[in-house]
Amino acid sequence: MSKIICSAAIQGAHKIVSMAEVKCDEALEKWGPDQNIGFPNTTYYLPVIYAMLGTPVETLGNAREVLNKCKTLLPAIVKDESWLPSLDSALEAGMSTLFAEEILEAIKYLEKPDCYTKTEDPLIDNIWLGAADDVIMRKRGVEFVDGSAPGFAIILGAAPTTEIAVKIAIELQEKNLYVLMCADHDGKTMSEQLIEAGVQIGWSTRLVSFGQSYTAGVFAVGFAVRAAMSFGGIKPGDFDGNLLFCRGGIFAFIITLGAITEEWVANAAGAINWGVPIIADAPAPKLVVPEICDYELITGDISHDQIVQKAIDVRGLKIKISKIDIPMSYGPAFEGERIRKEDLYFECGGGKTLGVELTVSKDMSEVEDGKIEIIGPDIDEVKEGGSLPFGILIEVAGRQMQPDFEPILERQIHHLVNYIQGVMHIGQRSIMWLRIGKAAAEKGFLLKHLGKVIHAKYHQEFSNIVDKVQVTIYTKEKKVRELLESAKNVYVQRDKRVEGMVDETEETFYSCTLCQSFAPSHVCIITPERTGMCGAYNWLDCKASNEINPTGPNQPIAKGECFDTVKGQWKKINDFVSRASGRKVEKVNAYSLMEFPMTACGCFECVATILPMCNGVMVVNRDFMGMTPSGMKFTTLAGLAGGGNQTPGFLGISKHYICSRKFIKAEGGLKRVVWLPKMLKEEISGLIKPICEDIGIPDFLDMIADETVGFTEEEILPFLQEKGHPALAMGALI
Amino acid sequence: MRIDIPRVAYTGTIKEITLGRNKNKITIGGESCYPFHLFEGTMPNPPKIAMEVYDSAPEDWPDSAMEPFADVVDDPVAWARKCIDVYGAEMIALQMASTDPNGKNIPADKAAAIAKKVSDEIEVPLIIWGCENVDKDTEVLRSICEICEGRDLIIGPVVEGNYRAIGATAIAYNHTVIASTPIDINLAKQLNILLGNLNVPDDKIIIDPSIGPIGYGLEYTYSVMERIRVAALTQEDERLQYPIILNLAKEVWKIKEVNVSETEAPLYGHKKSRGVLFEALTAQCMLMAGANILIMRHPEAIGLVKESIKDLMNS
Repeated sequence: MSKIICSAAIQGAHKIVSMAEVKCDEALEKWGPDQNIGFPNTTYYLPVIYAMLGTPVETLGNAREVLNKCKTLLPAIVKDESWLPSLDSALEAGMSTLFAEEILEAIKYLEKPDCYTKTEDPLIDNIWLGAADDVIMRKRGVEFVDGSAPGFAIILGAAPTTEIAVKIAIELQEKNLYVLMCADHDGKTMSEQLIEAGVQIGWSTRLVSFGQSYTAGVFAVGFAVRAAMSFGGIKPGDFDGNLLFCRGGIFAFIITLGAITEEWVANAAGAINWGVPIIADAPAPKLVVPEICDYELITGDISHDQIVQKAIDVRGLKIKISKIDIPMSYGPAFEGERIRKEDLYFECGGGKTLGVELTVSKDMSEVEDGKIEIIGPDIDEVKEGGSLPFGILIEVAGRQMQPDFEPILERQIHHLVNYIQGVMHIGQRSIMWLRIGKAAAEKGFLLKHLGKVIHAKYHQEFSNIVDKVQVTIYTKEKKVRELLESAKNVYVQRDKRVEGMVDETEETFYSCTLCQSFAPSHVCIITPERTGMCGAYNWLDCKASNEINPTGPNQPIAKGECFDTVKGQWKKINDFVSRASGRKVEKVNAYSLMEFPMTACGCFECVATILPMCNGVMVVNRDFMGMTPSGMKFTTLAGLAGGGNQTPGFLGISKHYICSRKFIKAEGGLKRVVWLPKMLKEEISGLIKPICEDIGIPDFLDMIADETVGFTEEEILPFLQEKGHPALAMGALI
Repeated sequence: MRIDIPRVAYTGTIKEITLGRNKNKITIGGESCYPFHLFEGTMPNPPKIAMEVYDSAPEDWPDSAMEPFADVVDDPVAWARKCIDVYGAEMIALQMASTDPNGKNIPADKAAAIAKKVSDEIEVPLIIWGCENVDKDTEVLRSICEICEGRDLIIGPVVEGNYRAIGATAIAYNHTVIASTPIDINLAKQLNILLGNLNVPDDKIIIDPSIGPIGYGLEYTYSVMERIRVAALTQEDERLQYPIILNLAKEVWKIKEVNVSETEAPLYGHKKSRGVLFEALTAQCMLMAGANILIMRHPEAIGLVKESIKDLMNS
C-alpha cells in the first residue's frame, strides 16, 4: 500500500479517535457511564462495532471501553522517513476510525436528539436523515439481495457545480443504485446541491442525505454490516465472515468529490476492509490489494462525466435491463414468422447482398456499454423492396468472459433477432439472411433496433459472463467487406480451436442432466470429442452454460484417472455418473457400443446398433422413416437405446459424433460402419472426410451401404463383400 | 428357519422444520425412513393437513365442496376460524386466488391486509399461497411478508423467476418459503441450492414438487417425490432433505370427473362422494410418496386421510 495513503489514513484515524475520546469523556462527565446511547430503532446497537467485535454498546461506559480498544488498534503515526507502514496497519486504522465515528454519532444523537430527522425523507427544516433504522434496512436491504438494486454509492463531498452534482446523481439513479451522501467539500454538500437544483431526495428516491459531516459515512457501513447479519446469517462478532459477505454480496463503492482530506482517507481505509473501492475526482495514487479483491481499490483523477461508469466498471456491477426499447413486439411467439416476398420491405445477406455477423470479446476498457452505432444508411433511407450490404459487429466485455464463449453468444443472434415481430433471420456467420417486413418498416423499425435487442438480451440472458455490450452495424459495402475479411479469420481460428480439442488434453468433461425429468437415470457425459447426443450441446456450450448457470444441468467433472484409453473410461466420470444416476449406472465407456455404453435420454439425433451378420454397425438418423437392416425402424430402435438404460449394442448419438476420432473406438471406430441412410451420408460427408483419410480409405463413404442397396443384412452383405468393406475382416463384434 | 427381512440402508434424514409461533408450533419432517416404513426407521412427526381458505368467495366450486363453508365463504377470517373451531384444522392455507391478474386482480396492499387480518385472528401456522403468476406473486408475497413480520408464515410458491425477491424478503422478516418446481427432481434440487446461496436458512425451506391429481398426472408427482426421498434418504443428497408440501385440493376439485353432473355421467356415481374420494385418494397417494403437509378442502376427505395417517402411524 502506498506510503502516502497509509500515513494519511493513520494520521486521520488518530484525529478522529482523539476527537471521539474528547467527546466521550465530556459526555461521561455530564451523564455518567450508565447513560444509554444508541441509534434509533435498531436491534444492532452501534452496528459496525456490534458486527465486527460482537460488543453491544448500550451505554457511554461501553463506548469508552471500545475507544480504549481503538487506541490499542491504532498504529503509531508515521514519522520516520524510512518506516513503511503495512497494509494491515492502515486497515486497522480505518476500522478504528469507523468505531470512533459510530460513537461520535451516537453522542450526537444523545446531545441533540433532533439532529437527524429519523424519517425516510427529509423534513422542511432538516434535510439530514441520519442512521437508517431496521425498518428501512430490511425494506431496502431486500433490494440488494434480490438484485433490484445492484448496489450503493457512498458520496463524500460536493461537486464543483450543482449541474454536475445533479448529473452524477441522475446517472446513479438510472442504474438503480442507492446514493448515500455525506461529508462536505469547502462547506458544500452534494445533498444541498441536489435540493438547490430541485431534485427530490430521500430513501424513496434513492438519494439519501445521511449527514453533513464525514462521520455520517459510517451509517453506510452500518447499513452494509446489518444487511450481512440480517440476510447473510452472519453472527455478530464474526469479523472475517462479515467482511467476506460484503465483499462478495454487497456492491458498494465510494465516490469522492473534492480534495481528499486525511479524515476521508481514514474512512476510505475503513471501507476498504469490506472491499469497497474509492473512485476520486481528485488525484490519488492507484491501489491494488490482491488479498482483498481483484479490482483497484483506489482510482484517482477521474473526470465527472466518466466517474459513474468508472465506478461501475471497477466494482463490476451487473446492469439490469427490463424493457427492450423497440417499436415492435418481442418474444418467442414471433420466432417462426416468415416474411414473404409480398410483405418484404427490406432484406440483406442471403446471397442478395454481402452479410456477416460477428461477436468478439474485448477488454473492459475497449467497450462502451449500450453504444449502438450504424455506419451507413439505415432502413428509413431505403426504398421499399431495397437491400443493403450488412455487417454486424458485437463487442462484449466481462470479467468472466472468455474467447471460447464468443461463438455461443454469436449463435444467439439468430433467435434473438427472430423474436422481433416482423423480422426474419436465417443462417449465421457470413451466410446470414435478414428480412424486414413492410409492417415493421411502417412502425419505424430500424437496423439500429437490432443493436438494442442484442444489447438488452445479452445482458438479460448472459449476465454472468457479459458486463458490457457494444454494437456496430455497417451498411456500406467497403466497411462490410472489411468486417467480412476479419470475421473470416476469426471463424477459421475458432474452427481450428474446436477441431484441435481432444479428450486427452482436457482435464474436465461436463455432465448434462437436462433430460432427467423424463429419463431419471440418464447422465450425458460431454467430452470435446463426444458432443451431446441431442446435437445441441458440445463441450464448449456446456462450459459456457455452466458459467452462466453454475447450479444448472451442466456440471464440470474432473475426469480423474483413466482406466481405459480405448474404451474411454475414467474414475471420476464413473463416480459422477453413479451418483447422478441414483446408483443405477456404475460404469460408463464413452467410446463403446458393446460394453457399458453411455445411456441415452430420448432426444438423440441418431441410433447406432450392430448388424451381426455383417460384423458391423449401422447408424440411422431420426429423420429416416424407413426400415433399416437391423429389422427395426428408428422409433423401435429409439425405444431400446433410450430411457436411461445401458443396453449393450444400442447407442444414442449425435450426427457430429459419427465424425469424431473417438466414435465407437472400442469397436474399431468408423471402419465398423456398414450402413447409413443416404441423407445422413450426404449430411456428414464434409465432416467425415478427414476421418476417412485418417483410416487410409479416402472414399470409405462409398463402401457404406444405404437404403438404395438394401433394407436387410442379406441384401447389403454382397455389396460390402464386393466393395471389400474393412468390417468384414475385423475381429468379431459379439 | 430364520428369515432376515431386507432393510434399506438409510444414510440421511429429512430436516425437521418448526412452523408457526408461540404455543401453537408444529414440527414437520425429521423422518429417517421411507414414508411409514416404521420397521426401518422413525417418523417423529406425522404428516399434517392444512385446510384451505380463500381470500374471497370461490365461484367455480361444486356445491358439495361449498356446502360445509357456505356460511363463511365471504369472510376469510370466519372461514379460517370455522376450519379450526369446527373441523379442528392444525394449519390454515390461505389461497390468494383473487390476486390473479387474469381474474379479480386485487392489488398487493389489499391482499396483504386480508392476509394480515387472518394471521391476526388465528393461532395455528398459516400458509399463504399466491396466484401462481410470477410477477404478481412477487409483489403480493413481499407485501405480505412485510406486513406480517413476526408471524412466521409459510409463503409460496417461490419459483425460479422470483426466488431472489421473495427469498430475500422472507429472510428479512423471518418466514418459511415453499420452493416450487414443475415436477422435476433436478429443478427442485437446483432451486433449493439457489435458495441456500441466497442464505435462506435450511430450516426455512419446504419443497413443493407440484401436483397433478388422480388421472391428471399423479404418477409423475408420485415418482418425482419418490426419487426426491430416495436421493435424500439413501444418497446423501443434502439439498433434497426438506419436507414436502402439496397444494392438492384446488387441483382435484377442478377436474372434470369431480364436476360433471350425475345426469350427464351416470356411471361416475354420486357426485359428492366422487369429489371427496378423489381428494382423499390423491392425498393418500401423496402420503405414501412422502408428503409432510397436504393442503386439503373437504372435511370428509380430511377425516378419511387423518384416520389413515393414524392407522399408518400405529401399524
